[in-house]
Amino acid sequence: MASPLRRRRALALLTYGSIAVLAVVISPLVGSTDVDLARALDRRIPFAENADAQILFVARLPRTLAGALVGATLAAAGVVFQGLLRNPLATPFTLGVSAGAALGAMLAITFGWSFGTAGVPAVTTASFAGAGAAVGIVYGLARARQRGLSTEVLLLAGVTMNAFFSALILFVQYFADFAETYRTLRWLMGDLDVGSYTPLVTAVPLVALAFVAFAWLARPLNLLNLGAAGAETHGLDVTRAQRIAFISASLATGAAVSVGGPIGFIGIIVPHLVRLMTGADHRIVLPAAALFGAAFLVACDLVARTAMAPIELPVGIITALVGGPFFLWLLVRKA
Amino acid sequence: MLRAADVSFSYGRPGRAPGVLHGASFEVEDGGFAGILGPNGSGKTTLLRLLSGTARPASGRVTLDGRDLATMGRAALARRMAVVPQETRLAFEYSVLEVVTMGRYPHLGAFEVEGPADLAICRDALAQTGTSHLEDRPFTTLSGGEKQRVVIAAALAQIGSSHGAILLLDEPTAALDLGYQLETARLLRDLQARLRLTVVISTHDLNFAASLCRSLLLLRDGRVLAAGPTDRVLAPDTIAALYDVEADVRHHDAAGHLVVVPVARIAGR
Amino acid sequence: MPMLLVCALLIAALSGDAAGLPTVAQASRPARIVCLVPAVTEMLFAVGAGPQVVAVSSFDHHPPAVEHLARVGALLDPDLERILSLRPDLVITYGTQTELRAQLDRARIPQFVYTHGGFADVWRTIREIGARVGRAEAAARLAAAIEAAIERIRQRVAGRDTPATLLVIGREAGAVRGIIASGGVGFLHEMLEIAGARNVFADIARESVQATTELVLARRPAVILEIRGSPLDEARVRAEERAWRPLASVPAVRDGRVHIIGDERTVIPGPRIAEGAELLARAIHPGAFE
Repeated sequence: MASPLRRRRALALLTYGSIAVLAVVISPLVGSTDVDLARALDRRIPFAENADAQILFVARLPRTLAGALVGATLAAAGVVFQGLLRNPLATPFTLGVSAGAALGAMLAITFGWSFGTAGVPAVTTASFAGAGAAVGIVYGLARARQRGLSTEVLLLAGVTMNAFFSALILFVQYFADFAETYRTLRWLMGDLDVGSYTPLVTAVPLVALAFVAFAWLARPLNLLNLGAAGAETHGLDVTRAQRIAFISASLATGAAVSVGGPIGFIGIIVPHLVRLMTGADHRIVLPAAALFGAAFLVACDLVARTAMAPIELPVGIITALVGGPFFLWLLVRKA
Repeated sequence: MLRAADVSFSYGRPGRAPGVLHGASFEVEDGGFAGILGPNGSGKTTLLRLLSGTARPASGRVTLDGRDLATMGRAALARRMAVVPQETRLAFEYSVLEVVTMGRYPHLGAFEVEGPADLAICRDALAQTGTSHLEDRPFTTLSGGEKQRVVIAAALAQIGSSHGAILLLDEPTAALDLGYQLETARLLRDLQARLRLTVVISTHDLNFAASLCRSLLLLRDGRVLAAGPTDRVLAPDTIAALYDVEADVRHHDAAGHLVVVPVARIAGR
Repeated sequence: MPMLLVCALLIAALSGDAAGLPTVAQASRPARIVCLVPAVTEMLFAVGAGPQVVAVSSFDHHPPAVEHLARVGALLDPDLERILSLRPDLVITYGTQTELRAQLDRARIPQFVYTHGGFADVWRTIREIGARVGRAEAAARLAAAIEAAIERIRQRVAGRDTPATLLVIGREAGAVRGIIASGGVGFLHEMLEIAGARNVFADIARESVQATTELVLARRPAVILEIRGSPLDEARVRAEERAWRPLASVPAVRDGRVHIIGDERTVIPGPRIAEGAELLARAIHPGAFE
């Protein structure tokens, strides 16, 4: 008799995996422009002259892959944060990571920094540095109080960081002119138009490492539900698990935000939707949420770039339009 | 044999914060049934945390079969000893079976999934606590008494029927009404007899302790007031020293154990 | 006697503010002008009203005489206290600065409200501000001169092919992300047409468009012009031109027709706008200016 968990997990992976693959395959084929697929795939035409191929492989494919990467990462990080903080309302942005990233991006945009590292644009690098700084500060604050890692202090430190960085952002905005403010606003609404594979290639190693940590964290996250003391008596090294959870999820979020901006609602809708359908066991929820998150963001981005063609809506608006009502429904249902 | 030798503990820097436990000693032999009694703030929960290895004593040692807990691996310790906390609140909707399955954690490798043997142990634990019919129900929808029994089942799944398995319970009757209190007492007695468990409960319910425990430790303000067999320790003078209450202690034939009836508060203490 | 008094009062009443003019007294030649709009500052100096200006915005650089003047903030952060402390008799504000305008109204300070528009609005503004500061003739001459200069540019490029052109007004440094381009409406779009080009986004009825890589690849501009408010050094210009390489199939990139014009004359809708338009025209039709 095969383990029921293995069976359920296999089924979930198959289902959500199929949806993800479908999304990633269809998305580059749809857009605001008509693309001649035969011409795009015609090897005889040199790539530099093949506009259809360029639209497919320079504009759309990196964008789809970015959507899949960012969606999977934010959804999985959301699951981890909710498990770590034992709170279904936690998001990847609760602990200050996105505020740090936003500050970094804004500084780069306002002061026109142009240091590209290995082909990665300055805004991307700066926003990741900002995210890292925020994570470091929150972690340091949460550790300073006691030997372990208190989730209450984490939460307080994170919320404080959010407020502090938001204030800094307003301060920097004072030095920005109109165009820079506008561009910062657009960044804050999310932008998956990466235009090349370089930002993805740079983000993948870190995200992959984070996902390995997530795989290990699946069972500890189940146990953490019992409370820190309860989990400890089950034989879990709670402090180590919390540390790994916080750092891996925060850095993964930082990477995702530096690629596509702080796209909201994925980190909270997807975990909830998936839990509704698969139950609460993190060994199923984590991989399922990652796959569903990828499909979800790719779909939202597809809507964002075709709904008002040729003009594009920022993808963060679409996720908010879908996420807001869903979130309200969740709250009403719980009440 | 689980023993705490002269342990002290305080939250915060030693020497700076008021001590919670001062030189307390406790022991329970294999198959024993011990109770830790005391008013709120006496250090009962702290002693339980030291005994389970969740906290390290500032001085003194806690040993299991002579080995210092600090030298035992977490998983190894968890396979011998389980704790039933005062209350279990889950943030997400796990089923009863999933909660019990969590007890198998210390028996599995990092990426190992529970096998048929593990599931059989979990189902057996549910049967032992009479909760098999609740297997697929979400844990959060259960009543207090049912939750209690499921958590005990999880503890059983964790320590199995290994020799010298120890069950620690923190205020097991705190949230239960009278019927469930009797149920829990009966369940614990049954389990102890059938599975040869060592049981330690920390409680402020004197009669509950009297009905189950063969030995008692009385704690007040972090110090041991009295320790020994229940018959000897549970007496009017010790109860007065512990609670500032004048009480009548007598053997109740129908119940089959000592019963404590508080009579009046002792003024001026 | 009573009858005369009544008549006198009647005449006085009828000849007063009957035409609905603002109740704030207006000087015919204001001597203490505070100007928050750089384009209008240039207009003031160009019509000879420079000596009447006491303060300008934080972003004013032209003409050089403004360097000695007081600064009072700009569009997003006007400094009301500073403005009031200068005791102005005319303040030139943006139409969108509603709060500032309300505060100035309460302080009974006369205002000239500037609204941003197309080229026709540039002439209109020059004439209106000229009349307002008592330099109507100079203003009329200035407007006519600029219009003539524009006309000359049109003739230079007349009859030539109008290349599909992407006019970029901002993007991320070093990357083709966050590209903001001129849409088919507004001042920059008109400038592009004067310079003899066809805006690739002429069909989009907005002033600015966020151009994604797909959109740029689909519209295939033959020329890409990036206008910046200040000049860039050579190395930076090369680096920014290289940033377009991933979009190799775009004719402008393929043929090396990406031009970065770092000159504020292209973005200030003031007296030097004809010079700005000429910079664009030279980039698009170098052959017409030999």
